[in-house]
Amino acid sequence: MGKQVTEMLKGTLEGIVLAILSGRSAYGYEITAWLRDQGFSDIAEGTIYALLIRIEQRGLVDVEKVPSEKGPPRKVYSLNAQGREYLEEFWRTWSFLTERLEQLREGGK
Amino acid sequence: MDTESNESKSRYLKYLELVTGPIEDKRRWRQYKARIRQLPENYRTAVEALERYLMHFGPGDGADAASMFEDLADLFERSAADGTPIRDIFGADPVEFVEAFVQNYSVGRYIRRERERFTSAIERAAGEKEDGTV
Repeated sequence: MGKQVTEMLKGTLEGIVLAILSGRSAYGYEITAWLRDQGFSDIAEGTIYALLIRIEQRGLVDVEKVPSEKGPPRKVYSLNAQGREYLEEFWRTWSFLTERLEQLREGGK
Repeated sequence: MDTESNESKSRYLKYLELVTGPIEDKRRWRQYKARIRQLPENYRTAVEALERYLMHFGPGDGADAASMFEDLADLFERSAADGTPIRDIFGADPVEFVEAFVQNYSVGRYIRRERERFTSAIERAAGEKEDGTV
């Protein structure tokens, strides 16, 4: 994954994680693994962990501790009402951004 | 009379906090250190390097700093159990991860406060802020 993707991802990662969690609840390792499968191969597990702590502190997700066969319990995150609202705002911003960028690209032809 | 008893109560709580707060923080710190000692060697080395780096962010609130280190221990215990390679936890640029992580705690907020103070100073110097508040 190139430097450019990494830079662009910084501003959108929060929305991406919330979007993943809108489909189903998940724990950190699953989210990172999914992102890697999707081609975001440079994503650090720690970065996702820090992001999950942040959205938990901001009350966008609910957290449940689930016992694990091996090691400490896993923290399973699910999107709550406030998180859904925030995600909608993210998609509105995203639409605005992509529309403007598309206009720029077409104008440049 | 009522206010007086409230006052003495809050004073007492403050005193209690003063005495037990740091003891509680120390207990949590020792517990964190014990958890780190249980980790496989390469994970332990990584956490200890991270711990050293975090110290440079200056002091945070004691209880909040304890939470920060507990969250770190959670992450590394989980990663060790999952067998997540060290590089996958930290990514290509370990500093980037730490910057994101530290923002969640008072240790990181200290840096943010300084940034805000700096931004305000520039606003005042640029004549955008008249009242001189920070």
